[in-house]
Amino acid sequence: MAYKATKNLTGDLRERLYLPELLRGLAITTRHFLRNLFNPRDTNVEVVDRKGPNLVSTVSYPEEKTPYPPGYRGLHRLVPREDGKPRCVACYMCATICPAQCIYIEAGEYETSDPASESRVIEKYPTQFVIDELRCIVCGLCVDACPKDAIRMDTGLHTPSEYNRLGFVWDIPKLLQGPAVSHPSDPWNKRASSAPPPHQHREPHIRIGEGLVPLKLPSGEPHKRTEVTDQPIPVTRFLKE
Amino acid sequence: MKALQVVIAIGVIFGIIFGLSAASYWLGAWIESGFYLPFGIGPLVKAGLPGWAWVSNLLILVLVFVMVIATFLTLAERKWSAMMQDRIGPNRATIEVPGLRGRSLGGVFHIATDALKMLTKEDFRPKNADPLLFNLGPILAFAPVLALFAVVPVGPQVTVNRFDAVHRIGLQVANPDFGMLWIFAIASLAVYGTSLAGWASNNKFALLGGVRAASQMISYEVALGLGLVGAMMAFSTVRLPDLIQGQTVQLWGGSVHLGSTGPLAFGIPAWGIFLQPVGFIIFFAAAFAETKRAPFDVPEGESEIIGYFVEYSGMKFGLFMISEFAEVVILAAVTTAIFLGGWHIGFAGDAWLTRNLAGSPIVLGAVYATIFWVKVLVLCYIQLAIRWTFPRFRYDQIQTLGWKILLPQALANVFITGALILLDPSLRWLAIVGFVEIGFVLALALRRKDQEVGHGADDAHLPADAHGHAPPAALPGPAAASHH
Repeated sequence: MAYKATKNLTGDLRERLYLPELLRGLAITTRHFLRNLFNPRDTNVEVVDRKGPNLVSTVSYPEEKTPYPPGYRGLHRLVPREDGKPRCVACYMCATICPAQCIYIEAGEYETSDPASESRVIEKYPTQFVIDELRCIVCGLCVDACPKDAIRMDTGLHTPSEYNRLGFVWDIPKLLQGPAVSHPSDPWNKRASSAPPPHQHREPHIRIGEGLVPLKLPSGEPHKRTEVTDQPIPVTRFLKE
Repeated sequence: MKALQVVIAIGVIFGIIFGLSAASYWLGAWIESGFYLPFGIGPLVKAGLPGWAWVSNLLILVLVFVMVIATFLTLAERKWSAMMQDRIGPNRATIEVPGLRGRSLGGVFHIATDALKMLTKEDFRPKNADPLLFNLGPILAFAPVLALFAVVPVGPQVTVNRFDAVHRIGLQVANPDFGMLWIFAIASLAVYGTSLAGWASNNKFALLGGVRAASQMISYEVALGLGLVGAMMAFSTVRLPDLIQGQTVQLWGGSVHLGSTGPLAFGIPAWGIFLQPVGFIIFFAAAFAETKRAPFDVPEGESEIIGYFVEYSGMKFGLFMISEFAEVVILAAVTTAIFLGGWHIGFAGDAWLTRNLAGSPIVLGAVYATIFWVKVLVLCYIQLAIRWTFPRFRYDQIQTLGWKILLPQALANVFITGALILLDPSLRWLAIVGFVEIGFVLALALRRKDQEVGHGADDAHLPADAHGHAPPAALPGPAAASHH
């Protein structure tokens, strides 16, 4: 089908003569050229705030970086404890929830006889914690799933470029970075050592009532509490009774 | 600070051009008159080769000036287009040399990376392509372009007195009587390269591109030739040095006396662009179509409608590219010689300069040659700016422009020019009509239209530091908008 080219003769003399418009076009490009040639470039990374006669709006990336928005989820990291070991307790929650299945964990268990101080405070630790950064979709579900605040996306970084695919498989030495995080509820903060705690284990429903105003029975007698003994209460007692 | 750097860089470029021009004159004088062997190891070789200065001109003008400028234009095309479009452009290639580490120097190292890429890429030939014709294509596209430069005079003929003999050295490879006709003849040959490339590639799209190239180039040959007829008539010659000499005549002017250096004449010269503005536009447009660059790049259409060199890779493609840029340089040189007064300043001081530098003819010649090359570089810039300003013409528009607009105008220009020369052989009436034409176009271009807001077409109304994106001072509210 032949294209029917129509002549548009609606323009005024300047447009139909073409030459004046041509000169105006050249003037525009030349004005931009000269302004950009003779004036230094404003390197403000907020491009809309750039001032000055130079009109270049490029952010020259590796040297200048646009700041990320506050909600940006960057490259994840394994959060270290204050002693430098990962907070991770190898519970597999992140690996389970990961929609891209990019997290691989091998759990190790602290030996009972391990002299290390926290040996029984936490029982498991990751011997392998590997994230395939090429598969990761940066959804952040692992951060939400982690019960121990052991994986975070607060670095604000991209995954750096690599020369081969194996370089994108990040293991513990690469993932374990950033400032250490500590919570009062961390088990290793609650107990000074792995020795048995100083207090006695007490039955939970007894402890619930501790420190409350004693109940009054309808007969007027004070409620008689269950005696707290120093003897450990065998758990099997409830099952037998 | 940056402006200072730019000015210094421009000065360095002018200095290099001046030095190379002087070297060219020197080499010509050496070849003509003989030379000493270096370091005192030999006697004076007095057996010069009189009349062989064209060898040095061939080497330095064609192989150094044209090729180097064309090579730099490949970079300039990208860098300048970036600056016209508010980008930065190529700046990543650096070399690991102390002092230059991490500095791109405006991207000059990209030339080396481009050349290396072209030379090391696979030289692919389609399966059923004719090997002979396929290899001949880029050669035939490239060779005529360089041959075109043979008749372009870059510098004046100066008299060098060396070893008790007088030699006349000019910066021109050959000065035949047929001057401009050589340009027409050789420019027509370039079409063979493109058509052969399209035909021999054994590719339907390449063939179509070759056909487009052939028809476009043949169409514009007519306008190309007729556009120059007016200039030939006005200066009554087809030899380019004589054309340049004819443009030194000052139509109107006066002179001031500058002490011991003698009178300094100034005025309006009889440049071709003043006498023949229509001829200039026709020639420039037609020659632009011959270079196959945007807005006449229908034969190539690299990104959309692939053209005659689709199947070429490596340095064969590089030859097509570099011949395009060499054409840009040569078109600029020919236009300078015919329409912009060649190596003359024109408006003031040519005779004064010649008189005061008569003692050192090579410096004089080099100064004039530098002026020539500066004009060439300005025209190269204009060509690149045109390429980055205008959208591509549709194919029927190209043929319409060539046959229905440029050709009748060229014919009319020939008759009007002839009548005006007949009326006034001093060319003043011709110049007056030319100035009226130029003034008409400029007045139209500078006239401000009423409805010209909000298109972004003209950012002149923005404040100087607005960065081209400034919103209007007060946005019209919906109530105000509804009144329109």
